[in-house]
Amino acid sequence: MSTQRRKITQLLTGPASGVLILLAFYIALLVLFTFISPFFMTTRNLTSIASNVAFIGLMAAAGTPLIIAGGLDLSVAAVAGLSGVLIALLNAAGWPIWFAVAAAIGMGACVGLANGFLATRLKLNPLIVTLATMSIVGGVALILTGGLTKPVMQPSFNWIGQGRVFGVPAPALLMLSVYIGLALLIRMTHFGRYVYAVGGNPEASRLIGLPVNRVQVVLYVISAMSGAVAGAMLAAMLGAAAPAAASPHLLTVIAAIILGGTSLAGGRGSVWGTLLAVLILGTLNNGLTLNNVSSFWQDVTRGVVLILAVGVDQLRIHLQAR
Amino acid sequence: MSGIGKRFGGVAVLRDVAFHVEAGEIVALLGANGAGKSTLMKILTGVYTLDEGRVEIGGKPVVIAEPKDAVGAGISFLPQEISLMPEMTVAENICLGLMGRQSSLALTDRADMDATAKRVLTQIGFAHIPTFEPVGHLSVAEQRVVEIARALATDARILVMDEPTAALSEQDAQTLFDALRSLRDGGTSIVYISHYLSEVFKLADRIEVLRDGLNAGSFRTDQTDVDAVLEAMLGRVADKLFDHRASSRRDGEFLTVSNLSWRDKLTDVSLGVRPGEIVGIFGLVGSGVEHLGKVIFGAETGDVSGTIHLDGSPYYPRTPSYGKSRGIGYVTAERKTDGILSELSVSQNLAAAFWSDYRNGPFASRTAESRLAHRWIESFGIRTSGPDQIMRFLSGGNQQKVCVARWLHEDVRLLILEEPTRGVDLGARRDIYHWLGDYAAQGLAILILSSDAEEIAGLCDRALVMNRGRIVGRFDANADTAALMAATASDQRQGEMPASGTQ
Repeated sequence: MSTQRRKITQLLTGPASGVLILLAFYIALLVLFTFISPFFMTTRNLTSIASNVAFIGLMAAAGTPLIIAGGLDLSVAAVAGLSGVLIALLNAAGWPIWFAVAAAIGMGACVGLANGFLATRLKLNPLIVTLATMSIVGGVALILTGGLTKPVMQPSFNWIGQGRVFGVPAPALLMLSVYIGLALLIRMTHFGRYVYAVGGNPEASRLIGLPVNRVQVVLYVISAMSGAVAGAMLAAMLGAAAPAAASPHLLTVIAAIILGGTSLAGGRGSVWGTLLAVLILGTLNNGLTLNNVSSFWQDVTRGVVLILAVGVDQLRIHLQAR
Repeated sequence: MSGIGKRFGGVAVLRDVAFHVEAGEIVALLGANGAGKSTLMKILTGVYTLDEGRVEIGGKPVVIAEPKDAVGAGISFLPQEISLMPEMTVAENICLGLMGRQSSLALTDRADMDATAKRVLTQIGFAHIPTFEPVGHLSVAEQRVVEIARALATDARILVMDEPTAALSEQDAQTLFDALRSLRDGGTSIVYISHYLSEVFKLADRIEVLRDGLNAGSFRTDQTDVDAVLEAMLGRVADKLFDHRASSRRDGEFLTVSNLSWRDKLTDVSLGVRPGEIVGIFGLVGSGVEHLGKVIFGAETGDVSGTIHLDGSPYYPRTPSYGKSRGIGYVTAERKTDGILSELSVSQNLAAAFWSDYRNGPFASRTAESRLAHRWIESFGIRTSGPDQIMRFLSGGNQQKVCVARWLHEDVRLLILEEPTRGVDLGARRDIYHWLGDYAAQGLAILILSSDAEEIAGLCDRALVMNRGRIVGRFDANADTAALMAATASDQRQGEMPASGTQ
C-alpha cells in the first residue's frame, strides 16, 4: 500500500510528470468523447482534428524553446498572415511558387532577427518588442492586400495543406517532424542545454560564459520562421491567403505553450508538453462542436481548462519542493 | 530573545542564542561571516521563523511569523541595500508605511504627508532634506536618513540596521551616527550590524558577539578593547580550517594588472598572480573589491583603463566568454542569484562552463555529464541524492562546491573567487580551502576577493587590502587577521604597510 503510494508520488513529482499528467488527461478526454459521440472516434474525424491542430501546433512548437529561454514572441501569428499573403502575391506576380515560399520564410527570418536584436542587444522587453512587430507585420499584410483575400492555386503547393501520406494529413506530418526536430535540438544538443540554462538564470549563464544573446536571437528567428511555415501551410490548406487569418489564433498558441507546462518565467518546459496541449485544445474544440456546444461556450471551457492545468502544475511543483 | 535555535536542512545555524536590547540603547551585533548574525535578525524581523526559543518585547512574549508581525510589534529592519522607491518623493517614501494603516481608498493628503515627513526629519536633525524631492536625487547618506525617518513615522521602537554605512563616505557616516544618537536619546532601541570595528566602538553602547551560531561574548563598549572583541569573534577556528601548506609559487606572473581603474569604483589597482599562488584581496563591503573580479573577467565593462596581461600577452576584458577563452574562471559571490542554474541538475551545473566537452558526436551526452558529476561528487564530497538532483535542493555549501568545481578544468589557468565561502557551513569551507590549496599546488593561479579577513589571512600566500577602490596595504608573508582589519581602518596613503605581517 505504502509503496504504491510512494510510486504515485514519484510519478507526480518526477521530471516527466507534467507530460504524463497531460497524457492521462488527453486519454481521458478521448475516452469521454468516444462515449458521448458516435462520430468522434472515426478515421475521418481524427484526421480532421490532426489537420486542424497542425497550424497552431507549428507556431506553438517553436514558441516553446523561446519561452523556456526567457523570450516571448507575440508576432508569430502576424508573421503567418504576412507569409501567406506574400506567397499569394509573389506567385500572382509570376514568381515560381517555391521561390515565393522561400521568400516568405526569409521574411520570417528577418522579422525574427529584428525581434531578437531588439530584445537582446537593446534589452527591450520582449513583450513590447514583439507586440510592436506584430502590429507592423500585421499592418503590412493589410496594406499589401488592401485587406482582401488572395487566391493561391498550385497543386504541388496546395498538397502541403491538403495532401495525405498513407492516409495521414500532410500538415500533421509536417507539424510532427518539426516537434521531433525541436525535441532533438533542445534535449540532445549543447544548444538545448544553453536554452534551459539561459532561461533559468540569464546572469549566471552569462557569468559561466554561455552565449546568452546568441541563443535567444536564434530562437526568435526559429519562432518567426515557423510562423512563416505555418502561414504557408494555412494558405495551402485554404487555397487562399487572408491577411488576418492567423491573428485570432495567437492566444491559443500562447495558451497551449503554458498548458504544456512551460514556465513563462523561463527555464522549464518541453515541446512534448506543448504538443499534448495543442492536441487537447484541438480535441476539446472538435468534441464540443460534435456535441453541438456553441463556440462561445468553447471559449469558456478552454479558459477553465487552462486555469485547471496551471493549478495542477503549481501543485506538482509544490509537491516536488517537499 | 532567548534560547533561539534555527536549523537549515539539518544544519544548526543558531543554538540556544540569547540576545537583548534595552530601550534607548545601541547594541552592535558582531560575528565573522556565517556566525549567524543575519539569521538571528531575520528571525526578529519575521523573514525566518524560529525553531526553538522565544521573543519578548517590553516583557511580553510575541509571535513573529512574518514581516508584517514584526512591523506591528514596532520592529523596523533596514537592509544593507537601500529599499526606497527612487521615483517617489521623500514625503511619499516616509509616509508609505503609514498609508497601509488606512483604508486603501482614503485620499492622500499631500499637506499632511508633508507635515509628517518634516516632523520626523526634524526629530532626527535633518530638517534640511527637501520633502518634495524624488528620493533618487538624494545622496546615499540622505537616502539612509529617509529610511530611518520612514521607520520612525511608523512608530518603530526597535531599529535593526545591517551594514548601514557600507556605501557611505566618512563624513556621511558621521551624519548618520548623529541621527542614530539622537534617536537613541529619544528612547529607540537600535541593533547595529557592522564589520567596521572602529565605527562600532564609536557608536555602540554594548557589543554582542556570535560565533558559529552560539553566543561568544558580551561587552560594554567602554570597558573593552578591539583585541578582546576580535578574539571573541574569531576564536581558534582558523587553526582547524586552514592547512599549513608549502608555497607552490612558480616563476613568472600569469595575471599582471597595472593601474587598473573602473568608473569611480576602482582606482590604480596593480597586482600580479603567479601560477601556483593564492593571492587574496581583503576589502569590506563597498571597498570596490566586489567589482575587481567582474572587471577582470569581463562581466562589468565600460570605462576600464590601465593594462592587464595574461601569461605575458595583453588582455582587454570584453565578455565573460572571452575571459573564459583566455583561461580565466570566475566564481561569483552571489551564488543564489548569479551562480547556480537552480532548475537544472547537479551534473548539468557541473558541465555548464565547458558543456561542449561532454559530447557524443554532435550530441550532448548525458552519460559524459553524469560521469563528470560522479567524479566530483566523490572527490569533492558533494552531498546530493545523485547527479540528476535538481540544483536548488542542495544546501548552500554543496551548491558552492559545485560552483567552484565547474571551473576546475584544464583550460582554466586563473581562477577568481569572490566571497568563496559566504553562507557556507564550516565543513564545506574546510573542503573548499583544502582543494584550492591542492589545485594551487598543481599550478593554478588563484585570486580570492573577500570581506572575510580570516579567510584571506589563513588561505593566501600573499594578501592585499583594498579600501575605497585603492590597494591600501600589501602583505607578502602570511598576514594575520587583525593586521588586515587594521589596514582598512587606516588612511589611503598611510596604508602602504611594510611587507611583514605580524604573525
